[in-house]
Amino acid sequence: MSNYVLKYKRGNEVKYISHLDFVRFIQRVIRRAELPMLFSSGFNPHPLINIALPLSVGVTSDGELMRIGLDGDFNEQFVMDTINKTLPPGFEIIGIKKVEGKEINFNKINKAIYQCNCELEKETKVDIPSFLSNTSLLVMKKSKSGIKEADIRPHIHSLECTQEKNNITLKMCIDAGNNYNLKPDTVIEAMEKYIDGFKTTFYAVHRCALLADDAELL
Amino acid sequence: MSFSLMDKILKNVEKPTRYTGRELNMCIKDPAKIDVRFGFCFPDVYEIAMSHLGLKILYHVLNLRDDTYCERVFAPWVDMEEAMRANNMKLFALETGDEVISFDMIGFTLQYEMSYSNVINMLDLAGIPLLSKDRGTNVPFVCAGGPCAYNAEPIADAIDFFMLGEGEDIICEIIDVYKEWKKIPDHTREQYLEMIAEIEGIYVPQFYDVEYNEDCTIKSITPNRPCAKPVVKKRIMSDFDSAPTPDKVIVPYGDIVHDRVMLEVFRGCIRGCRFCQAGYVYRPVRERKADTLTCLADRLLSSTGYDEISLSSLSTSDYSQLPELTDNLIEMTEKKKIGLSLPSLRIDNFSLELMNKVQKVRKSGITFAPEAGTQRLRDVINKNITEENILSSTAMLFRGGWTNVKLYFMIGLPAETEEDVEGIANLAQKVLDTYFEIPKEERAKNINITVSTSSFIPKPFTAFQWCRQDTRDEIIEKQNLLKSSIKSKRIRYSWHDNKTSYLEGVFARGDRRLINVICRAVKNGCRFDGWNDHFKFDQWMKSFEECNIDPDFYLRERGFDEVLPWDHIDIGVTKSFFKREYDKSQKAQTTPNCREKCSGCGASCFGTGVCYE
Ligand code: SF4
Repeated sequence: MSNYVLKYKRGNEVKYISHLDFVRFIQRVIRRAELPMLFSSGFNPHPLINIALPLSVGVTSDGELMRIGLDGDFNEQFVMDTINKTLPPGFEIIGIKKVEGKEINFNKINKAIYQCNCELEKETKVDIPSFLSNTSLLVMKKSKSGIKEADIRPHIHSLECTQEKNNITLKMCIDAGNNYNLKPDTVIEAMEKYIDGFKTTFYAVHRCALLADDAELL
Repeated sequence: MSFSLMDKILKNVEKPTRYTGRELNMCIKDPAKIDVRFGFCFPDVYEIAMSHLGLKILYHVLNLRDDTYCERVFAPWVDMEEAMRANNMKLFALETGDEVISFDMIGFTLQYEMSYSNVINMLDLAGIPLLSKDRGTNVPFVCAGGPCAYNAEPIADAIDFFMLGEGEDIICEIIDVYKEWKKIPDHTREQYLEMIAEIEGIYVPQFYDVEYNEDCTIKSITPNRPCAKPVVKKRIMSDFDSAPTPDKVIVPYGDIVHDRVMLEVFRGCIRGCRFCQAGYVYRPVRERKADTLTCLADRLLSSTGYDEISLSSLSTSDYSQLPELTDNLIEMTEKKKIGLSLPSLRIDNFSLELMNKVQKVRKSGITFAPEAGTQRLRDVINKNITEENILSSTAMLFRGGWTNVKLYFMIGLPAETEEDVEGIANLAQKVLDTYFEIPKEERAKNINITVSTSSFIPKPFTAFQWCRQDTRDEIIEKQNLLKSSIKSKRIRYSWHDNKTSYLEGVFARGDRRLINVICRAVKNGCRFDGWNDHFKFDQWMKSFEECNIDPDFYLRERGFDEVLPWDHIDIGVTKSFFKREYDKSQKAQTTPNCREKCSGCGASCFGTGVCYE
């Protein structure tokens, strides 16, 4: 019996899979790989699969993490290769670590880096320093207790922008995790509110990495 | 940087994985290296389409060929259709995302009459002219198959050709001919249709002229060229055990209706219920060997990663090697920790024991389908189940801890009387009494009986194909009678919407004149008629009126000498057999099943199956 943390990519082909569907998909992948899954004990046993910070529908990623329990002791490379062989295009395991206890703790994740490619309604000057110089950025934000106004400025750690006519690329490091989870969509919403003439017609979000204390867990 | 239209659209529709493909085991080919691109069209939404076994089989058969790429094409849900139309996006295939109008051929599977509006709507979304006669050489051929194809006259003008019967072989034959035809200089569409009309099982509607009498009944159906056979006979797979079947299937991301490995145990049914089209059109019964199925189960489980497996057939209990198969499967599923479900089992000692062995069976839903409330009416329809069967089986179930019983009936059956309708309530009451006769300590608590009725719809190729269908008012009256006859609060009653049954009845025995109505209804916004929330009965009635067609015409009783719209189709079972069965039904005489005694239905002409056991 052993636990593995896997780091994986989710590409364009598979970005619309919801979290619940993804968990079921992974169970099937592990069965297909003929790796013996570990099940929880109890009345309704379910496989031990734990996904760090589920990805929103439509978002691609280079650095997702999940933990799986296997009944047996396997070589890391073997587990990674076997699973990769059964994955459809769009998914790829890029890192693996066998763990004993909680040395890789998903609860410690507190930041994430995102890249957003945006198409603007019209070419607009995007002055990031002046946007970030606002002492507060008030937007409507969903939380457990409903939608209410919140100041997201303290939760934005960096924001860069490259621009080519009406196409811009934003790279941001923002709070993520159980403690405070900021979505890149909310940052873009704030930019639309605070930057004159800034209006997106469409954008695509990509998660580059999940961070705990400014470092990747794997 | 640019975004695809698809990305922009998918941001705002529900369940985007319905449209993106890329699932586990999807077939990937390079379209540039392919001779024939085929779009397998299922005229319903992804979750329904992907639950269909026939799709999986033909997808497999076609993609085994190096020269062919079969892709899936499903009806976009209403939100997606709206977005597609707003953005001028055409109907596309899931594998490549390419527009189907650029394909060589598209094929619809017709599983139920209520999907006809979706067929027409999908053609429209694809940019393919709705009627066969308006199509040029630059658009794909449009074909169709499936159970409704035996009488798809209502949409015949929209279909270039039908494939009748089981499709595994015939679909390859038409592809072979297609490649030959492509080589002919200056080939025409008509030429191709003439070439395939020679193949057994191919029906090209435009090669048949239909003439009508003054009263709108059919005067004659005549082939208008030598290649068209006077009667088109269905195809079957004579050696079903070795018939091609996929050893891997696509595993969807989203939740679908039947999300599990399905094992097709046998085709056909030995029983011969007189109302049941499936029971007749799939004759004769042909089985797969238990060993073949066990191997197949093993391979399918490893290739999909599914954690559930289910048997598929019209009546599991009639499988001759059932004990052997279930022994093997129970062993396999226990080892792999997966669930086994055994639908349509008749309740007896064997099946009860079986269900106790199978771990994942919930002690809730057990279903009986007596179909009629009295023994007389059950004899009329040849439903071989007695009140004693039902009561002794339910007694066994109650003692075994089951408390949820569903009883399925039909109302509006031929020769049905008030007594028969009340009989439904009486039978349910007797089941309830059986429960209370069992001592408290030997039964579980909270008995729950559900009576469910559908409305009888006379179908082509059944003993009742000539019968009159009850009007909506008559059905409502009977539903009310039944409601008031049910006395106990522990018996719940649910019933089918009479409007859907009405329309299904019209199309089931419809003729070619209906195509205008269907096209008009689609213009008037009708689609997804099988979905209660989207079914627009008023628009349908308006469309009938606009086309000057009286739908009631199709529900009337037909004379034995009347030309039926499907008389030029041969399913193997003969019209004279149906006539005999009808006569026996009038006298409430039953007919034995194929294993008890052959009744000479005609299906032995295929030279295989139960007729030669
Ligand atoms: S010919 Fe006889 S055995 Fe064969 S399907 Fe018909 S009734 Fe059954």
